Amino acid sequence: MFTTGFKFFFGLFAAFCVAALAYGYTTGGNHVGPLSLGWKGGVGDHIGYGLLVALAAVSLTISLVLVSFRDADAAAQAHLQNLAEVMTDQPVTASFWPVVASFGVGAAAVGLVLHPMVFVLGLTLVTLSLVEWTMDAWADRATGDAAANRELRNRIMAPIEIPVVGALAVGVIVLAASRILLTVSQLEAVAVAGVVAALILGGAWVYAARPGLGRRLVRILGMVGALLLLVGGVLAAVAGERDFGHHTDETHEESGEPNGGEHGG
Amino acid sequence: MTLTEPAVADSEAAPAAAPGSSPVPSATPRILAQPFLTSDAATVGRLFVVVSLLLALGTSVIGVLLSLGRTEAVAPADMFAGLNAYFRMWTLYRVSFMLLVVLPLLLGVAMAVVPSQVGAGNLAFPRAALASFWSWLIGALIIVVSVFAGGGWGAIDGVTGNENDAMALTLLGTGMVIVALLVGAVSVATTVISLRQTGMSLLDVPPFSWSMLVAAAVWLFTLPVAIANIVLIYADLRGRPAIAFGRAESPDIWLQLDWLVEQPAVYIMAVPVLGIAIEAVGAAVGARSSRPEAVTIIVGLFGLLAVGGWSQDYFTAPQDLRDGLVYVAFGLAAVLPLVALAGGAAELVLRGTKTPDRLLDARMVGAGAALKLLGAAALVGALRVIEPLDLLETTATWAVFHGVVVAGLIAGVVALRNWSHELLICPLSQAVGRGAVALLLSGGGLLVLSDLISAFLADDPDLMDLALDGSTALNVVAFVGSVLVAVGVAAAVVGAVSALRTPTAGSEAA
Repeated sequence: MFTTGFKFFFGLFAAFCVAALAYGYTTGGNHVGPLSLGWKGGVGDHIGYGLLVALAAVSLTISLVLVSFRDADAAAQAHLQNLAEVMTDQPVTASFWPVVASFGVGAAAVGLVLHPMVFVLGLTLVTLSLVEWTMDAWADRATGDAAANRELRNRIMAPIEIPVVGALAVGVIVLAASRILLTVSQLEAVAVAGVVAALILGGAWVYAARPGLGRRLVRILGMVGALLLLVGGVLAAVAGERDFGHHTDETHEESGEPNGGEHGG
Repeated sequence: MTLTEPAVADSEAAPAAAPGSSPVPSATPRILAQPFLTSDAATVGRLFVVVSLLLALGTSVIGVLLSLGRTEAVAPADMFAGLNAYFRMWTLYRVSFMLLVVLPLLLGVAMAVVPSQVGAGNLAFPRAALASFWSWLIGALIIVVSVFAGGGWGAIDGVTGNENDAMALTLLGTGMVIVALLVGAVSVATTVISLRQTGMSLLDVPPFSWSMLVAAAVWLFTLPVAIANIVLIYADLRGRPAIAFGRAESPDIWLQLDWLVEQPAVYIMAVPVLGIAIEAVGAAVGARSSRPEAVTIIVGLFGLLAVGGWSQDYFTAPQDLRDGLVYVAFGLAAVLPLVALAGGAAELVLRGTKTPDRLLDARMVGAGAALKLLGAAALVGALRVIEPLDLLETTATWAVFHGVVVAGLIAGVVALRNWSHELLICPLSQAVGRGAVALLLSGGGLLVLSDLISAFLADDPDLMDLALDGSTALNVVAFVGSVLVAVGVAAAVVGAVSALRTPTAGSEAA
């Protein structure tokens, strides 16, 4: 008769009511104020009492919606609509977001002690994972067809994911490449940039000339390239930028200006 | 059911994608990706079991080193480069056995076994279970690295700035591990409550699933208290002198958390052991209990006596709490459910087939060993709360701890043998099972015995004396016990790994 969702939210409603009464009476409420929503007597601290009453009202509304629609349960809906077939649940699809969320929590914990940037990175990962995880959980049970579920999920999330991932990728490439180019000497920087540009051009040419080239091979090459760039960027960041000061001093001496010259970076 | 994620279907049963539609990720990812992507309860459970067994190996080696330090063959301060380092290892040994070994081992078994026992396709929250494993693993890593970097749960000789940071990391890692275990426990408990087969009442639930439901409830009542402790200590440690009890330069941190490894909270590790033991005995002799409801009540009662968040004595005078009627009653009463369960196991043996091969089955031997050690621990616990014996602040505390921990390890071996199909690829070998159980039982028995006798010899020692005391002969006995436990764990690890790797050769019929 009463669905699980109704029981859960009705329980929350009851808990919030009790909490509102307790809070009202312990913060200066008198007579039957907290019981009558302030009609007869004071309710104590208005903000806290109001918040708890509002949460109770929201919980009650959700519980009534859930019991009305039978928790959106497929079997119950089929029964109510006199349908012959019950839409079955689909398997939970494989997802890496739980792992990302765990790493996010770990990074947040480590960052809390070691560095605020790591903490923020951890929180970002956790938030991102929660959003994606919620969408995956919703999509898994949206319809009875796994392919349609996937399509539905992608239709909502892809317009958000693709630009965000693209922006992140561009940011990482710019950051890593700039660290490498600022670490090696001026001549080497030109050589590195030339070689990388040639590789990209050559790769694109080969791919254009041979469209039948396996997507897997292209994916592997792309991943190897990204990994090399990332590792190179990290190593370059650790090594630090090349010495721009020496060149600047020479320029000062030659030009005789006190503050002239190039500043790298 | 409707508030939970849907169950995983078998790969064969999964509907094929329509032609032309986008590929749908499979519920069973490739073997290398499985640990990162799986939503299959058995795989997550297996991950928990294997990693916790490996951590058991490391922890038992630390135990061997600690007990070697007690024998006076090597001075503890020399062996661990100072008293602080010795204290770090001493606390790591205890916390690790509870949070990184026994609880996750039994939780992993539950994740793999409970869904099939209650007729559910999968755990209630399969993704949360995966997150639970990875959060636990990362938390464990943070604990171990930070302890070896000078952290831990307090110090004796004062700390440097870096060690203060490492201590904060240890605390956060501990909190993370506890939260992860609770998430896994909620997943298992929800499976038993919400995903049972239609018509199966809670009284019809198999003993192990019931014991895990009780254990999850007890963990939920007990472990959050430790999280609250950790939050207070952390706030103090990171520069809040307003809270003046979490001083890093003293073992105060440990004194706020030690209740977790002492009576009655230490028994939270033992609740699932009861379920495993009774099921293993039944399976070995091929009998069912004539009074299953009695087993349900016994396990529930033991769970009730394991709720221990109230028993921390840091904020009150120890004599007020630990000489109080409730503490004494909890200590004494814990023996009763174990005696009753032993009676239940005996009834099963009497009703079942009593052939030598069944009576000497690794499950039977292991269940008996686990119950014996647990009974011994509870008995020592009962003696410990009797005031005239004056055993409260002695090594009797660690006798109880060792008894419960080793009983938990033995239950893990029994579970590997009893539910090989769910937990391993091949059945765990009889010989390996029996050998591991025998080694663990003798090692655990020696540890309990030496700690108990040391307790009677002790003369009101302080914290470090408590770690180092005992006569030389008893310390040698404890060392031998530690070595036997370490070898027993190694045998279990080797057996489990070989049963995971060899699909046909060397396997036996379960």
